[in-house]
Amino acid sequence: MPGTHLVENLKNLFATVDIGTALMNSFIIAIITTFLTLLIGSLAGYGFEIYRTKGKDMVFNILLLSMMIPFAAIMIPLYRFFGQVSSVSPLIGIDTLAAAILPTIITAFFIFFFRQNTKMFAKELVEAGRIDGLSELGIFFRIYLPTMKTTYAAAAIIAFMNSWNNYLWPLVVLQSPENQTIPLLISNLGAGYTPDYGVIMTAIVIATLPTAIVFFLMQRHFVAGMMGSVKG
Amino acid sequence: MGNKLSKKFWLLIVALLTAMVLAACGGDSEEGSSDADGGGDGGTTDDGATKITAWAWDPNFNIAALNLANESYNGETEIELEIIENAQDDIVQKLNTGLSSGTMKGMPNIVLIEDQRAQSFLQSYPDAFYPIGDYFNTEDFAEYKIPPTSLDGKQYGLPFDTGATGFFYRTDYLEEAGYTHDDLVDITWAQFVDIAKDVKEKTGHPMLALDPNDLGILRVMMQTTGTWYTTEDGTINLVDNEPLKVALQHYKELMDNDLVKLVSDWSQYLAAFNSGDVASVPAGNWIAPSIEAEESQKGLWAVAPTPRLDMEGAANASNQGGSSWYVLNIDGKEAAAEFLGNTFGSNSDFYQSLLTDVGAIGTYKPASEGEAYQYENEYFGGQQVIYEISQWMEEIPQVDYGMNTYGIEDILSAEIQQYLSGKSLEDVLADAQAQAEAQFK
Repeated sequence: MPGTHLVENLKNLFATVDIGTALMNSFIIAIITTFLTLLIGSLAGYGFEIYRTKGKDMVFNILLLSMMIPFAAIMIPLYRFFGQVSSVSPLIGIDTLAAAILPTIITAFFIFFFRQNTKMFAKELVEAGRIDGLSELGIFFRIYLPTMKTTYAAAAIIAFMNSWNNYLWPLVVLQSPENQTIPLLISNLGAGYTPDYGVIMTAIVIATLPTAIVFFLMQRHFVAGMMGSVKG
Repeated sequence: MGNKLSKKFWLLIVALLTAMVLAACGGDSEEGSSDADGGGDGGTTDDGATKITAWAWDPNFNIAALNLANESYNGETEIELEIIENAQDDIVQKLNTGLSSGTMKGMPNIVLIEDQRAQSFLQSYPDAFYPIGDYFNTEDFAEYKIPPTSLDGKQYGLPFDTGATGFFYRTDYLEEAGYTHDDLVDITWAQFVDIAKDVKEKTGHPMLALDPNDLGILRVMMQTTGTWYTTEDGTINLVDNEPLKVALQHYKELMDNDLVKLVSDWSQYLAAFNSGDVASVPAGNWIAPSIEAEESQKGLWAVAPTPRLDMEGAANASNQGGSSWYVLNIDGKEAAAEFLGNTFGSNSDFYQSLLTDVGAIGTYKPASEGEAYQYENEYFGGQQVIYEISQWMEEIPQVDYGMNTYGIEDILSAEIQQYLSGKSLEDVLADAQAQAEAQFK
């Protein structure tokens, strides 16, 4: 239950920082990231499982190996890359939300996650779709996507949470206060020699709410989706 | 099956190695071209002012100081200052990433760096910073600030706040133990330990509060003799470091005789003296506002010079913390340097308002003659606390903090725990030295 200083802490919080802008930025980044992650991750995972190509497993294994490279190791080249992009196209260069989104939209984890879950997907449905004259993309969007709802829900929660809590990359790539995300804002709140813990805690509660809400909304699907990936 | 798998495995390893080698090769082709396409802003706004960005931490202190500087700036170049607030660790992370990448995109014009970290930036990124020695007179600043802020004879940093230390003590407790102010002026740390024993015996109060993870007190003791964990040429200097040995002996004696109240974080540290538990706080002058925060102890505090180690050349002055301003080598550097030179670099009146409005004591020596510095602080029984601190500041022995202060200290703090539980001092220092050499060579 909230203590006696909740209102006061909220007032201080809104007076000291622009939490609205930070929430907005975090939402924009998290929603776009989640959407693109699901789209690309599921297309790739589906492709890896359904189609047969020479060297497919080899490519997939290399992809899995990339999960072992920590982000901190590729951060500096990535920053350099975006620094050079800035000169050509400032819209996706350093200090833009696009730069915070692009490197995070696809990870080997999600391709793996979707491929494992696709193993449960009945291949006969693909054959049936082909016979009935659906295009390959049509099969994906009209048959695969609706039947895999639980997998999508589970992936959505993970992707949203990762993006919402992402700290290191947004920290280095976003500079202006108007592009700040919620974790950066909270980090700044504790930066003074005399931090106001009440305000910091209030901000943390606000920052936690969206992921909690997303989780509760999709909880049923989430558990089903995770079970699926284990069984697969 | 087994054969097939191992063939695949080797292919993968080869692919991985190729990728790593390629990544390693691509490194230093363009390293030096940092200033060409510039980051920061440095552009001009519609009304012709040069736009300058600055990174700093702490809204109530450094940011407030920058805002004040912006108001009092009256140089020729018109500037528009944008201040970006970040936590100190975040600034370090962002600077390291940006400067390592070599693009300088998104980097600020002005950045605040803590003195003990400055050399690692100046030495790691030689072309990234702009020498600003021409924009102010280095002799106007406390001498101890110059070695950390300069490299190879070039002045890169404009000294900002001082961490000049004082021996803040409770007059009532010390009187009860039989000590007057004069008994506490210009003492040695050995005397400090003796006094601490008396205080404990007669009043029951521990002398000071310490966080075992923070070796600040050792650095304070060491700097009174002008030595550090490293020598000027960067050699790690633990095993034959006489001042460090003596400091550690004092540290152990304080701990063994139960003269220290152990705390585990900052708020407990503050509570230790605000609650009246401990009899003194030997720390940087920035602790004064936290002492004054406890209204009920008004008039019960005073400050004496920092105790020194009993060695030749030791001074009753030391330092804990403090930062300086740096200008990055990108478009807008001249305007940024002019801005700093005009405000922090030469304006004595500005330092008076910096003291009264923000509570920051600068390292600009002429400022100490100004009116605000003469303030007699009733909380400290009418003592001219600021003026005295600014006098001690001028005597702080110079130290080159080198590149690895914090890294060495991590090693040392683990070893010190073993020292406290009985390992011999020689072994402790020899082991720490070996670890540090392995890690930083």
